[in-house]
Amino acid sequence: MGGLEHATPGILIVLLGACYLLYRELRRVGAGYHHYIRRIAGVDAIEGSVGRCAEQGKSVFFTTALTDVGPVLFACLGVLHSIAKRVAQYKLKLQVPQYSPEAMALVEDTVREAYRDAGRANAFDPESIRFLSSEQFAFASGYMGLMHREKAGAAFLFGVFAAEALVLAEAGQQVGARQVAASVSPEQVAFFICTCEYTLIGEELFGASAYMSREPVQVATLAAQDRFKLFFILLIVVGVAMATLQPWVPDIAPYMPHRLMTRDWSSLSW
Amino acid sequence: MVVANAPDTRAKIIRLFTFLGGIYFFSYFVLPESVVESIGIKERHEQISNGFIVVGAMALGLGLFNIIRAHGTKVVFQRSGWRNSLALLVGLFGTIGIMSAQWIGALQVSRDVQDVQMIGEYASKLMAEKITQGAPISMLQGYSKEQLDRASSLIKVRPESQLTSAQRLLEQDLSRKISDLRADGLLTRVDIDEQALAGFAQRAHEVASSYSVFRQSLSSGTTVQRLYDFLYDGLFNQLGSAMFALLGVYIAAAAYRAFRVRTIESALMMSAAVIVMLGQISFGKEIYEGMPSLRQWLLEVPNSAAFRAIRLGAGIAGLMLAIRMWLSIESKSFSSEKK
Repeated sequence: MGGLEHATPGILIVLLGACYLLYRELRRVGAGYHHYIRRIAGVDAIEGSVGRCAEQGKSVFFTTALTDVGPVLFACLGVLHSIAKRVAQYKLKLQVPQYSPEAMALVEDTVREAYRDAGRANAFDPESIRFLSSEQFAFASGYMGLMHREKAGAAFLFGVFAAEALVLAEAGQQVGARQVAASVSPEQVAFFICTCEYTLIGEELFGASAYMSREPVQVATLAAQDRFKLFFILLIVVGVAMATLQPWVPDIAPYMPHRLMTRDWSSLSW
Repeated sequence: MVVANAPDTRAKIIRLFTFLGGIYFFSYFVLPESVVESIGIKERHEQISNGFIVVGAMALGLGLFNIIRAHGTKVVFQRSGWRNSLALLVGLFGTIGIMSAQWIGALQVSRDVQDVQMIGEYASKLMAEKITQGAPISMLQGYSKEQLDRASSLIKVRPESQLTSAQRLLEQDLSRKISDLRADGLLTRVDIDEQALAGFAQRAHEVASSYSVFRQSLSSGTTVQRLYDFLYDGLFNQLGSAMFALLGVYIAAAAYRAFRVRTIESALMMSAAVIVMLGQISFGKEIYEGMPSLRQWLLEVPNSAAFRAIRLGAGIAGLMLAIRMWLSIESKSFSSEKK
């Protein structure tokens, strides 16, 4: 579907379905329905890591690395809010090195609000959100330097990462920081598994915020995305079954899910 | 829907703009191409998208401000590490100054070259439209004389003794081409045939091309350009490459830690890595004939399946969050509710 400029009728229906699922879950959660969220060891480790920093009196690092303003950043901000709130409660030092100036404004606002929620608004230090560089490896070297100087007790690497992922994670490993990483970049997951104590893979990043905060809107989004994913899994199963049956039942070819999804508006007869 | 209360006007305006921006891009995506074309959005879409990029570019100032605030404070109050901060600020402003000077110089060269290029382009246009006499030809003659005089004076800006041998050769070639063009009857004749115009256009293009090479060669020797080359190619690119090279060492260190066979998972990971590495080199084929195929299978089947699963899950989660952002259905932590 890469490079698709306009939606097909099939995609439009799927998008409207996604909107409906989100609306339905928001209504249910709003009415008091309680969703069960499975435990994720990596998310539990976030709280433990901040607690460990409190015992050792060390600072906490959080980076969104190359993440630009978008859904992934907002998912990261949810986790950052929870971490910053705990950092404020435990009177620790938080460092959030920045790559993207646009993201920095949102990050600063989130951390400021977390401190306010913790009742320690005056303790917020704007210098803890430090812009390093918009160049990938200049950012990585700045992060390394900061990590070695501060000797962080815990580091959280959340968001979109590229080749600098291992450089960042190794810097934390070298100073003995307890690290939790979460990435939607599958290529970098292997590096994080090798260097971090816990790694959240793909969508777990989006679930982490809901798991930590248990806020109704976030939980409803998580429930909606799970149901939407279930629909896609069913679509895949149906597609595989139809593709398997096609040699014996050639007439089903036009009804295969991928054909229906890619059928253009012009193919519809009104 | 559970929409957080927005007590202040600022939050309402932000939500309104978010919604309007979202609805534009959503409509552009879901409407059929024919509808988008018929209502005239298609041709303006690029401009609208660029407008959003411009808004994003304004945030660059935030980064600069943050650096100046963080390090400027350190320098002013002479806090610990203030010398490093001073070095950073000097480097920052020095780089901004040199980059700006280089950019302005390059812009001037490009404008001068464009002026000369216009001679050939104008002549080609007249030729294409079969115009061989009248006001357009007089305009071409006047413009050509003016630009050739200007180019001749500009290439003599630096004394010959200061030119390298290569630059001297370029200058001689360019001067000869300009003289040839001046000698062309077209600059003085009233009636011109198409063949003469075609020859003039071709010679004018050659002059523009040689002029561009000569001007670029001249500017490469300036102090500003040398400083720019030193900072960008000599320092910035090299330091970036050095950081990238560190990855090799880190991969080995991380692999050593991860591949110590202590659990079934790490044993599986190590076996897969060994097969992929051996399948990549010719020695692997000596050990087992099917090693490259096994490597290929590992990468294309289990590895691709895992990649697709991660991408599908993240994509769906991203879509849901994007809908939530578009409609500003945010939880309390991101609302503007101030306590």
